[in-house]
Amino acid sequence: MTKWIRYTLPAAAIASIASPAYSMQYLSISEAQKQAFPSATHFTEVQAGRVWKAESGGRVAGFFIFDRVVGKHLLIDYAVALTPGGAVQSVEILQYRESYGGEIRSPSWLAQFVGKTSGSSLKINSDIRNIAGATLSSTHVTEGVKRVLLAYGNRLR
Amino acid sequence: MLLAASALSSLAGGAAWAAEDGANDLLLKKMEKMEQRIQTLEAELRQKQAAKPDESVKPPRSATQKDAKNANAAAPSDTPDIRSNSAAKTLSSSTPPANLPILGLAPSPVSGLSIGAYGEIKFGAMQNPAANGQWQNGFDAARFVLLPTYAITDNIIFNAEIEFEHAGSGFDADDKLHGTAEIEQIWIDFKMLDQFNWRAPGIDLVPIGYINQHHEPTQFYSVNRPELYNGLIPSTWKAGASSVYGTIADGLSYQVQVSSSLEDFGGDFGLRTEANTVPPFPTGYAPGISGLDALGFAAPVRGGFSQLNNTLAYAGKLDFAPAFIPGFAGSVSGYYSPNVTPRGAYADTGDLLGHNSVGIFDAEFRYRVPTTGLELRGEYVRVNFGSPENLRANNDTDPTNNVGKSMFGYSGEIAYHVPLGTILNSEWEAVPFYRYTYENLQTGGFAGTDANLPTGAGQRKFHTAGLAVFPSPKVVLKATYQRVIDKSVVGALSDSFLGGVGFFF
Repeated sequence: MTKWIRYTLPAAAIASIASPAYSMQYLSISEAQKQAFPSATHFTEVQAGRVWKAESGGRVAGFFIFDRVVGKHLLIDYAVALTPGGAVQSVEILQYRESYGGEIRSPSWLAQFVGKTSGSSLKINSDIRNIAGATLSSTHVTEGVKRVLLAYGNRLR
Repeated sequence: MLLAASALSSLAGGAAWAAEDGANDLLLKKMEKMEQRIQTLEAELRQKQAAKPDESVKPPRSATQKDAKNANAAAPSDTPDIRSNSAAKTLSSSTPPANLPILGLAPSPVSGLSIGAYGEIKFGAMQNPAANGQWQNGFDAARFVLLPTYAITDNIIFNAEIEFEHAGSGFDADDKLHGTAEIEQIWIDFKMLDQFNWRAPGIDLVPIGYINQHHEPTQFYSVNRPELYNGLIPSTWKAGASSVYGTIADGLSYQVQVSSSLEDFGGDFGLRTEANTVPPFPTGYAPGISGLDALGFAAPVRGGFSQLNNTLAYAGKLDFAPAFIPGFAGSVSGYYSPNVTPRGAYADTGDLLGHNSVGIFDAEFRYRVPTTGLELRGEYVRVNFGSPENLRANNDTDPTNNVGKSMFGYSGEIAYHVPLGTILNSEWEAVPFYRYTYENLQTGGFAGTDANLPTGAGQRKFHTAGLAVFPSPKVVLKATYQRVIDKSVVGALSDSFLGGVGFFF
């Protein structure tokens, strides 16, 4: 009964050491903040659990907004990083729970949001490409980013 | 991962850890109680938020697609300097509350559980080939499917699909039901790494082609599913299966599956014996694979340990959406079963039928030309048989349904997305389309004990054209005309003009 442990324990130990480097299923908020603003020295919570101001050496580096949308049925945790001028600097997916539709995590798809402002149309199949098989997830994330821009793009300084 | 490793090591050195186990147990119990309390509080909070969407207090409970209309109103607006509360209030009467996991209508009674649904309604006029091609009007509540999804933990996700076909099934004579109630899918995913995830054994769709795994009515434009998926690839092909899947690189993902095999037995379920064999000679039985229905009746059994052979089949799929061709997505997939012949299989002459393997290859693409409404799709699928002389269809004294060494089909489709503007508070879109499909289920080289007199009914061309209107990405109204041409003397006599309603939420 215990024989199998002899074979799997070394593998499990190696996997547990190696996995933080590869496991991209989950980014914590602080990890996502560092990824969005690598040069920022500290993050001040402007709205509890939602909006942080990133500062580096006294200057505002940008804003980090955490949000959630529904994919097909489960929630997607994502974050929008804004430049001080209110344009999108990056969009990161922190947690994608569902089994289908994970293609929205592709860097080339997320790169489409860079530079968008509250005036951008941000429509699927218009300025944002759809992903076949992930239509609902891509539509909802696009609408989420648009909502974040309209809510915060012009109001955070 | 670290927890798993330490759990294993504690198992191995059980005795030495016994004392510490007591204290750990207490801690774990306390944490479980705290976890439950948090979940109860979350559920209560969500219920409160669902009832009063304007006065949301807590952060990230963000909305579904309905919030697109709220785009001018802020999301959780609890800071005084965001003055859009009034805007949110005026829109709220027309916008339903967001984030309701039960059919989009109600908050979830269990935190993390959601139930979605999809379905198809079909109606219209069809030629009935069994009635000499007479045009008959009809209606079919083709399917209604419930999709329970539950995040057991952030990394262990439960998914199921409960399907009712043709308005369900029942026994009372006045109900007139002859459909199906079934578990179409049921599995638990263990999400581990980007590159590697495990789907525990359950009922899962076989990863061949695109439509088999993405078969909701909003994924295709014709009333009926694309023709290649109604036989060459069995309709909603599912099996007892387990798989691993993951993303290899940006735009490239894979799935490898082991499943219970297709079976060459197409008869009524009750005809298989208690010994899990085909009905004994000389009763005879219907084939699962034939030159008229392809693999349509060869689906593996998913219940009761009633499979007719011990075979495990293997399938693999590569999905790609290369970043350097934006708008392009495609896949290649393959399936192999070492043996589809059921126990006790025989020819009508009494000779026993031996092993027969089946291999399937599929390649397909979908291309949405960027910044235009143009969409193109193409597909090729091929089925090869190792020993077609052991197929029941080649040995059942029916000379018209014989099968050669292979079957194949291909299709090409062109569609155009036309935005219709805002109607009834949502953005509508019309998609006219045309699809050409060719199938040859009776390629030459028949083998077996039958006389070989196929009528040509297994070589078919389909011209399918119509219009799909999307009042939202979750609802579709369809009208489709289909012309079927085969090589038989009487003709296919299967034209149809159908309307359809589909939904997926």
